[in-house]
Amino acid sequence: MKLLNELTIAEARRLLDAGEITARALTQACLDQIRSLDGALHAFLEVYEEDALQEADRSDARRQAGQMAGVLDGIPLAIKDNMLLQGKTCTSGSKILQGHVAAYDSTVVSKLKASGAVILGRANMDEFAMGSSTERSAYGPTKHPRDPERVPGGSSGGSAVAVAANMCLGALGSDTGGSIRQPAAFCGVVGLKPTYGRVSRNGLMAMASSLDQIGPMAKTAEDAAMILHVIQGQDANDQTTGEVELFNPKWTESLKGVRIGLPKQAWGMDGVQEAVRDATLDAVNQLKNQGAEIVEIDLPYADEALAVYYVLMPCEVSANLSRFDGMRYGLRQQSLSLFETYAVSRAQGLGDEVMRRILLGTFALSSGYIDAYYVQAKKVQTLIRRGYEEAFKSVDLIVTPTTPTTAFKLGEKTNDPLAMYLEDIFTVSINVAGLPAVSVPCDNNGGMPVGLQIIGPWFDEKSVLNAARNYELTVQKN
Amino acid sequence: MKLDKDQVAHLAKLARLDLGEEKLEAMTKDFDSILPYVERIQAVDTTGVEPFAMPAKAQGWRQDRAVPIDDYTRELILSNFPERSGDLLAAPGVFETPKK
Repeated sequence: MKLLNELTIAEARRLLDAGEITARALTQACLDQIRSLDGALHAFLEVYEEDALQEADRSDARRQAGQMAGVLDGIPLAIKDNMLLQGKTCTSGSKILQGHVAAYDSTVVSKLKASGAVILGRANMDEFAMGSSTERSAYGPTKHPRDPERVPGGSSGGSAVAVAANMCLGALGSDTGGSIRQPAAFCGVVGLKPTYGRVSRNGLMAMASSLDQIGPMAKTAEDAAMILHVIQGQDANDQTTGEVELFNPKWTESLKGVRIGLPKQAWGMDGVQEAVRDATLDAVNQLKNQGAEIVEIDLPYADEALAVYYVLMPCEVSANLSRFDGMRYGLRQQSLSLFETYAVSRAQGLGDEVMRRILLGTFALSSGYIDAYYVQAKKVQTLIRRGYEEAFKSVDLIVTPTTPTTAFKLGEKTNDPLAMYLEDIFTVSINVAGLPAVSVPCDNNGGMPVGLQIIGPWFDEKSVLNAARNYELTVQKN
Repeated sequence: MKLDKDQVAHLAKLARLDLGEEKLEAMTKDFDSILPYVERIQAVDTTGVEPFAMPAKAQGWRQDRAVPIDDYTRELILSNFPERSGDLLAAPGVFETPKK
């Protein structure tokens, strides 16, 4: 028998509905796990113990009265520290927002609350979601749950560890270039980046607005689907949420008739660890055993996608982070002239990686260079999207490894920004194209976790998650 | 493209970042590896290709109208001001040089 905090959301839902467990006991089990492990792992920046237990009690009362709020009623979840929860501190992992209190609920938080979810706390992250290791948090790194000398990935590293170490049943992360999928792969959990426009970004602290997307991190594809179902939807407060059919999961018992493409550019790439290649190729075979047809495909501009990303993203970062000027909120260095107030407050409050990206974006947008960098990157982005449009004419899904390596050692890449950026080689083009993709844990014989990335056409999260679930079933059988 | 320290210092000024000498040098060095990497996009033939503009089929504009907020929300916003004068946000003078 599993401990309560080890349950999946779907299992907990059934037990809650059957009256066999209470939301309070479930929440208490997660809080106990946090208390025993988080001193070492540092997945959470803050735990809302009292609020969580009160919400759990309210959930139990609702259920007993037969007035369940939603599918997540009584389910303990974590949110990333860049999503606003009214009245609670929200810092985006940055010193410049130390003590900043959220004035309103982000749309995703409102939806979680309306569904009755119990929010346990805010999870650690790389500052303003810029990083692939959670070492860039101004509040100290999060450690890998299987090996504390290794990183959990990032930037949603706290959310990934909270799920992997059974401190919560699921979590929200945000993904601009891989920040849900890469830590999910490193920690051995499921992480879904929905299609751009599927989930409202209202109340998410912006990194690169045209690429950012909130998504679920969970123990199974089914759980990820349950969370996505709650947080999705058009929002008057986010003009980019799509006018599309809502996501509804559709599970099939096999992948018969599904054509899956393997881009030769990704699978032929140098620098992919053997453990990653073996585990992901084995996973592809399992998809084949489930009835999928596997074909090699050509996906041009795979090499250029990372370069496009590292132009577009810093440009948007430099614009978005200009709001941190020490005036209306955040750190202000006092008694200086206006220019110095800006410059000193920002330099003291922001970390090196954030400043590096602001400078890069300032350069790529500056007069004389904007055409060669920003505008050219936007044009190549058009070509990258066309490449995917073309590919999805002949296949239903595309799969790649999520990351070229398994979790690396703390400090291994902090002094080499480009090496850290190359971590994102398989994940960034999905954001550049705006597609949905999930990372699902591979069977890796007890080694460090490896993720398989399953990519679908725009707004086809149901096919992506169905393939992930089919793969999970084969792993459970083994 | 290679940027020297003065050019990076100019970018830092544009971005309102008081980097200091040490960080300025480190950032200049980082640019040496990052810029050549991103410049590979310039080799792509984009003749006749439009820059990508709209990430998703999206809604039209919403009406620009003031919506009242409750006192609690208002107090939270005010409490985040770095410096406050009653319910007003205090800011440094634009044309003043304060005494240190």
